[in-house]
Amino acid sequence: MNVDIHTLVDSDQGLVGRAVHIDPQIYEREGGMIFARCWMYLCHESQVPRPGDFCTAYMGEDLVIVWRDTQGTVRAFLNVCRHRGNRLCRADSGNAATITCPYHGWAYGNDGGLKGVPHQQAYRGELDKERWSLISVAQLDIYKGLIFATFDASAPPLREYLGEMAWYIDAIFDRRDGGVEMLAGVHRWVVPCNWKVPAENFCGDSYHGPWAHGSAMSAGFSARRPRPRDIERFHLYPGNGHCVMGRQPDDASDSPEVVVYEREVRAEVRARLGPRLDLVRPVVGTVFPNLAFVRGTANSIRVWHPRGPGSTEIWSWLFVDKRAPASVKEAVRLAGLRSFGPGGTFEQDDIDNWQECTQSARGTVSRRQMLNLQMGLGNERFDPELRAWTSDFCLSESNQRYFYRHWARVMEGADWSSLTAREVPQ
Amino acid sequence: MRPDVMLDVEQFLFREAHLLDERRFQEWLGLLTDDIRYWMPTMGRYYGASTKAFAPLERDQPERPEFSDENELAILDETKDSLARRIARLDSGMAWSEEPPSRTCRFISNVIVDESDTNAGLIVRSNFILYRTRGELERDFYVGSRQDVLRSDGGGWKIAYRKILVPQNVLAAKNISNFF
Repeated sequence: MNVDIHTLVDSDQGLVGRAVHIDPQIYEREGGMIFARCWMYLCHESQVPRPGDFCTAYMGEDLVIVWRDTQGTVRAFLNVCRHRGNRLCRADSGNAATITCPYHGWAYGNDGGLKGVPHQQAYRGELDKERWSLISVAQLDIYKGLIFATFDASAPPLREYLGEMAWYIDAIFDRRDGGVEMLAGVHRWVVPCNWKVPAENFCGDSYHGPWAHGSAMSAGFSARRPRPRDIERFHLYPGNGHCVMGRQPDDASDSPEVVVYEREVRAEVRARLGPRLDLVRPVVGTVFPNLAFVRGTANSIRVWHPRGPGSTEIWSWLFVDKRAPASVKEAVRLAGLRSFGPGGTFEQDDIDNWQECTQSARGTVSRRQMLNLQMGLGNERFDPELRAWTSDFCLSESNQRYFYRHWARVMEGADWSSLTAREVPQ
Repeated sequence: MRPDVMLDVEQFLFREAHLLDERRFQEWLGLLTDDIRYWMPTMGRYYGASTKAFAPLERDQPERPEFSDENELAILDETKDSLARRIARLDSGMAWSEEPPSRTCRFISNVIVDESDTNAGLIVRSNFILYRTRGELERDFYVGSRQDVLRSDGGGWKIAYRKILVPQNVLAAKNISNFF
């Protein structure tokens, strides 16, 4: 591996080499350094509510099955038969005590154990079934209904990995008693861009909104936003590679039904989340590396699954407060699918831009160039009330710089103690 | 179904496809009733009841349909107003996914026309291929089926309901920026 990450990411100068989006060697290295090490989002707990419930997922390009065992514990394994490497489960979801490989019939239980091997006498008693269980993730944990796992036994606990990002996750997924639920159904589609291009966009690319999404806004697919009064505190960096974009706390850029609902539940949400909610409304974010959320125009949680340097498979769900009335859930459903997803009036314009930002880097000379992420350079400051580094203006590329700085550290093989060293002062 | 009605309905669908291929969206909008529901569900894949791929733990699992239901996530779920706004977006000069626009060629076939039980109009099923090109070498084939309800308002057929099924568990196209 002769790629020098140092020369590709200069976050002090706001420069990123275009090779990060197209170089096959970098992509290969991301598999080992990022997707096999970081905590990855699998699914929401409401998608596997009962013992035996399973759903399939990905961690990087690895096939994964999330499976609640008979005792009720959520587990996750490579969705791959230990015998000849066949894909074990072929369905998106279901409920099972055991799943049987379609090739030779090896059967695995919902604890991952190898339960059945046809014609076992052919092994002359030498097959130790204990040794051939499904490959389990190294750690699995659930935060506010969000199920995460990592293949790295040495990774810090999930709560530590999330760090100060936890409150911002609360502000999206745990606003009311019962948290959120996912609408049934998922948007899944393949987009010709590098996975980091949407990831950095969801770090909070405030700059692209009015121009890239001008058509969707002018056609009424998102409420017109009042001009922000508080120009600071739009881009928040709570550390560990996670990024958030906020708006002013009284932002009301939702569907009319949702605006009324938000007014009704404001006191309850405020009591739950505390005074930080008076300072900011989190609306977009990236949990490093490839989980993103948006709340407002759409309520979407999505994963950017890498599919080669120039391809990304997006999985996107819509979520609603579990306790919201049916009319609000319906408004969230319609606003969400009309703005984000393959038919989304916002997202399809993003995708065309993400595609060409990636594919144009295939040129040898283009690949040598640096991208400009310099907006607001040097104007970040730590905000003790928000527990995050913030930009000093409502337009900034500070979060993109933090994202790539963290990406470079992970890619260089920094150990976990330095990766989760507190970037946020006590 | 009377052959002249069959022929009439087929010609209506062919002319509708022609309008869309020519990007005459305002004229197309005029073919829709004011109360149209125009929707494309998402697809999932699940084992059927007879599968031997697994042994269930909970015995009372309902069999899940492949396509999402009306109150679930959809790729499109539109009213006449939201379709009009999608068209206005395309006309804004800033709809980057269609700027410059894609080129399409639609094939409509397997048309089956039935009377509705409730006298709500005709129930028309059809299959389609929507071939789309854009940019340099981008090509998409959307192949699927539609279930329409057509009503006559005296001046010709209008589409009162359209359900579009594209049987792709993971959509291979980067977006759905055309009408079906």
